[in-house]
Amino acid sequence: MMTFIRPRLRKPVGIALGGTLWAAAWVVHGGNGWQWAIVAEIGTIALAIGWYVRGGRDNDDEDALAGSHADERQQLLSQRSWALAGKVAMLAAFAGVVAAVAARAGWWWPFAALFAITGFVYLLGLSTYGVGEEGPADDADDGHQMRSPVSH
Amino acid sequence: MRNRLREQRTQRGLSQAELAAALGVSRQTVISIEGGRYLPSLPLAFAIARFFDMTVDKMFDPDDEEAGT
Repeated sequence: MMTFIRPRLRKPVGIALGGTLWAAAWVVHGGNGWQWAIVAEIGTIALAIGWYVRGGRDNDDEDALAGSHADERQQLLSQRSWALAGKVAMLAAFAGVVAAVAARAGWWWPFAALFAITGFVYLLGLSTYGVGEEGPADDADDGHQMRSPVSH
Repeated sequence: MRNRLREQRTQRGLSQAELAAALGVSRQTVISIEGGRYLPSLPLAFAIARFFDMTVDKMFDPDDEEAGT
């Protein structure tokens, strides 16, 4: 969906959507939640504008990532950073499960769910990105070809 | 792995920004390649070599002793 949006607008639009969902959650929450919703929306708009401005600069790698015009090295940096974030999220979820179980607390399941999701997505990634590596080895093929049809 | 990118670029009187624009990468990436902190992908390595009318193995030298010569 994001490919239909101009590259420089992709991150700001994503921030705006996420922030608006966050604000909507406060409205649904009821009570004085609408006040937090206004704060969240103002903060979101400010952040989205800031990200848009940054995306037009060319001072560092973060500018290129903000503007969604990163080259191969900058994309690699981003992938490594997301991989680190995923690892830390998984370890934090595991730590949360361990702590909750030790404390006999009832809040173990959100950590368990996050741990299961991150683990599943890791395996899904291995399956998705490793799909091109499957197949017999060359020497196995050679063995079949070298076998004489009249040798037995 | 060292390379001759800075040497070739300065010989042709190009700035890092001009070379980056010609190769379709960022100025920061040219700086990283010149400093030996980033090994480009094969397509980019070939693009760099072609831009300077060199072969890839002349532009990128895995042998540090010979790289500066």
